[in-house]
Amino acid sequence: MDARTRILARVQRALRGRPKALLPEHPHTPLAEDPVDLLLRRLRENGAEAQRLPREEAKAFAQRLAEGLPGAAFGKTLPQDLRPPLPELPPEEAPLGVSWALFAVAETGSVALSSEDGRKAQLLPPTHLVLVEAKRVYGTLLEALQDLNELPAALGLHSGPSKSADIGQVMVKGVHGPGRLVVVVLE
Amino acid sequence: MRAKAKLYPKEAARLLREKPGVREAVTGATLHFERNRLKAYAEVPIEEWRERAKAVKDHVLTHLDHYLELAERRLRENGVQVHWAETPEDAHRVLREVVHRRGVKRAVKAKSMLTEELGVNPLLESLGVEVYETDLGEYLIQLLGEPPSHIVGPAIHLSLGEIQKLFHARFGTPLDASPEALAQVARRVLREAFLSAELGLSGANFLVAETGTLALMENEGNIRLSTSLPKVHVAFVGIEKLLPRFADLALFLPLTARAATGQRLATFVSLIQGPAREGEEGPEEVHVVLVDHGRTALLHDLEAWETLRCLRCGACLNACPVYRQTGGHPYGYVYSGPIGAVLDPGLLGLEEAYPLPYASTLCGACYEACPVKIPIPRLLLTWRHRAAEEGLTPSWEHGAMRAFRKVMESPALYRLFSKGLRGLPLPQDLLPLLRAWTEGRGPLRPSPKPFHELWKEVADGR
Repeated sequence: MDARTRILARVQRALRGRPKALLPEHPHTPLAEDPVDLLLRRLRENGAEAQRLPREEAKAFAQRLAEGLPGAAFGKTLPQDLRPPLPELPPEEAPLGVSWALFAVAETGSVALSSEDGRKAQLLPPTHLVLVEAKRVYGTLLEALQDLNELPAALGLHSGPSKSADIGQVMVKGVHGPGRLVVVVLE
Repeated sequence: MRAKAKLYPKEAARLLREKPGVREAVTGATLHFERNRLKAYAEVPIEEWRERAKAVKDHVLTHLDHYLELAERRLRENGVQVHWAETPEDAHRVLREVVHRRGVKRAVKAKSMLTEELGVNPLLESLGVEVYETDLGEYLIQLLGEPPSHIVGPAIHLSLGEIQKLFHARFGTPLDASPEALAQVARRVLREAFLSAELGLSGANFLVAETGTLALMENEGNIRLSTSLPKVHVAFVGIEKLLPRFADLALFLPLTARAATGQRLATFVSLIQGPAREGEEGPEEVHVVLVDHGRTALLHDLEAWETLRCLRCGACLNACPVYRQTGGHPYGYVYSGPIGAVLDPGLLGLEEAYPLPYASTLCGACYEACPVKIPIPRLLLTWRHRAAEEGLTPSWEHGAMRAFRKVMESPALYRLFSKGLRGLPLPQDLLPLLRAWTEGRGPLRPSPKPFHELWKEVADGR
């Protein structure tokens, strides 16, 4: 008998004749305020920079953020017109990573990044610019998770800059991931 | 990891005597976590959340065979290689095979309590693999050769000064280097490790049966890097970590974050289905090792199985007045604090973990904090009761309790003893119980008047 058989047999023996607990339903608690407003507020509370901009202004914003940089790493699903006009650098060397988020969640202040967009650009550069469409902003995490039909190989929820308080309880940013997270919601 | 739980009270007393700085560091850190937790709980209908989380976990545990098989099927459909481990040796076999087949020389590892149980680091080192703990706190204690002292903050017992000294000796940084500067040094070393490691190791906060999703929570980004950059990712998952539905994460991710650190959500959450797909960056192989190591025996225990609901958030540690005095090291096993006091006997057997159920004041703060309502105070009593039944408690204790009962049942005897004891000089150094007490504390000084006399005065004066 292998480990699998033995473990499952022991679980079945343990549960024989035991009362079974019921699985509760998910509650329905819709948001009282505009999800984009809440998203921006929560992202800022989490230590990120966040704004809502029309597409044209978002382009100009991304260009300003990229000014003077030697290059950037780009997400694969980022629309061409939103790319700052910079040479593309490998994420290991790029001072800036620009990603296209699959969706965002207002109540937790999070952007969701798919492995289809590429993970290195989301993690290696010290500054991370994330663009997300206003229509992809969910009020609650439950709504977002229930709406996902197909899951990518990996989904990362990012809710602020990388941080740690492991050294003497002092908060330090940019420990391994980006120390600066900038989110733009496209109207 | 070999358990040293039997040494609990002695080790705690020794730590208090020899390293008074630990108490200060641990109290500071746990009170900080605790304040944040209280604030984060107050923001949501926490009682409703706790009830629902408890119900979901009880459902999954009472249908565990079904959900394990479902999770295995989904994981395989996602291209994940699934292994089962009854014992640490089973888990070691999986790792050894990966190391040899892929020629692994270097591994990056995310913080995981289960890998502490399994002794993953010593195994890899014995195979000639360089292992880097990548959580900053875990990296600090790896450099010091210590085990974690807290479930979520493994290095909370260290002061800034100690870390400055450690980095000075190791990396030549100035003795007054700022936390930022120290973190930058660690970032540089670990970045190099992330980019060159052939193997990434992790635990899992949750495994969703419906979709075969591994969910991992962190604040630094090291887990995302450890599970994204190396070509092989191996995750060790305790069989109690299952959730039924993908949407259940909407409750468990925020609830765990609130309980652990008072955050609405961990800064980084990784939801992993499997290896990278065609044309994507990411691991070519993902392995999930489903680990028993005492969990099925605990599930079988009708009085103690609820312990398996534990989310490893550490909230009960932060709330515990006993844990705050020493941190986790004296508990002598992977899991410390109130949850350790009830989980360790369940996983190791009571004999191995004997004094741990006594490492509590039974004040109930752990139960109030627990996001899945594990009845820790009741479980402490269950284990104490069993210890007495199994004859693990010292024989003088039985005699003492019988005598105590006699005295307490008779008002006349009670008065006599309370007066008599007050008159005598306390033989502090003679009785072992008193000596154990005074080793870590000031001497015992009885109040000048007994309570019943004080009470009488108050009553007469009214």
